[in-house]
Amino acid sequence: MKVFIDPPNSMILFDLVERFGHEPLSTMAALQERVDNLEVDMPPMNVTLDDVVRGLKYAGIEVPSGVRGRLAVWGPLIEEADAAIIVDDAPFGFGCVGCERSELMVKYLIRRRGIPALRLQYPETEEDGIEFVAKVKGFLEGLQ
Amino acid sequence: MSRETRLLMICPTSDVTPEMLARTIHAMGEPVGLKETCYGCLVEGEADVVRRVTDKVRDMEPYAIFSKRRAYRMGDPVRCRAQHGTRPGYSQLEEEWSKLPFIRAGLIAAEKGEVPPERPKREKLPVLKFKEICEVKE
Repeated sequence: MKVFIDPPNSMILFDLVERFGHEPLSTMAALQERVDNLEVDMPPMNVTLDDVVRGLKYAGIEVPSGVRGRLAVWGPLIEEADAAIIVDDAPFGFGCVGCERSELMVKYLIRRRGIPALRLQYPETEEDGIEFVAKVKGFLEGLQ
Repeated sequence: MSRETRLLMICPTSDVTPEMLARTIHAMGEPVGLKETCYGCLVEGEADVVRRVTDKVRDMEPYAIFSKRRAYRMGDPVRCRAQHGTRPGYSQLEEEWSKLPFIRAGLIAAEKGEVPPERPKREKLPVLKFKEICEVKE
């Protein structure tokens, strides 16, 4: 099954979803299409002007273009997903995840689709890690 | 034919080094491009071959090596730090790298069939209790 991961560029989630036999839907695959088709030709941006227009499907015109750009990449993935794994309170100051508003929209879109979703927090100790993996494993095995 | 670039990252508590990992992949004799990095290595080639290499690496070191796809090619000039690419930073990777030992412990526990102990749910603080805390005692 196709599982949307949030943060969408998370290595931990990508790896775990793949390990337990499902297909992770991530930013990397979506961006690779744009990179390979030479659509991304405006460094340092990762999206094109068309993407920002496409983002209007997921967020209103008054929403900042950064949020729309992100949703233009993540929105189609959420539509395609059969399930989702969300890590709450991820440190937002980095990478393509650096926008709390986009995160809220992503959670809203997932909830609106009504697909099964698992919400977690990044582990801070070994006990947390054991619980984290056990929850992900249980969730993914339950999808089959 | 579709290309896939994959990032292999070594868990910080593991004894595997990027050099060992790169040599192991070279020794597989698969038609893939390989770049050794400080955190592990990058593998690039046809999607099914890269998948095969990843599976073999995972079989050899199931709890030490983690992987994900990468959108940009190896050494892409817009991404590569060596060429002062315009998309700087590996902050997400750095953050997750520090958490890999916990995930590793989780994977080992899951393999053994260990069930994590139930933790008491965090309850909301009653107003009266909060008031007690706030009051300054002389």
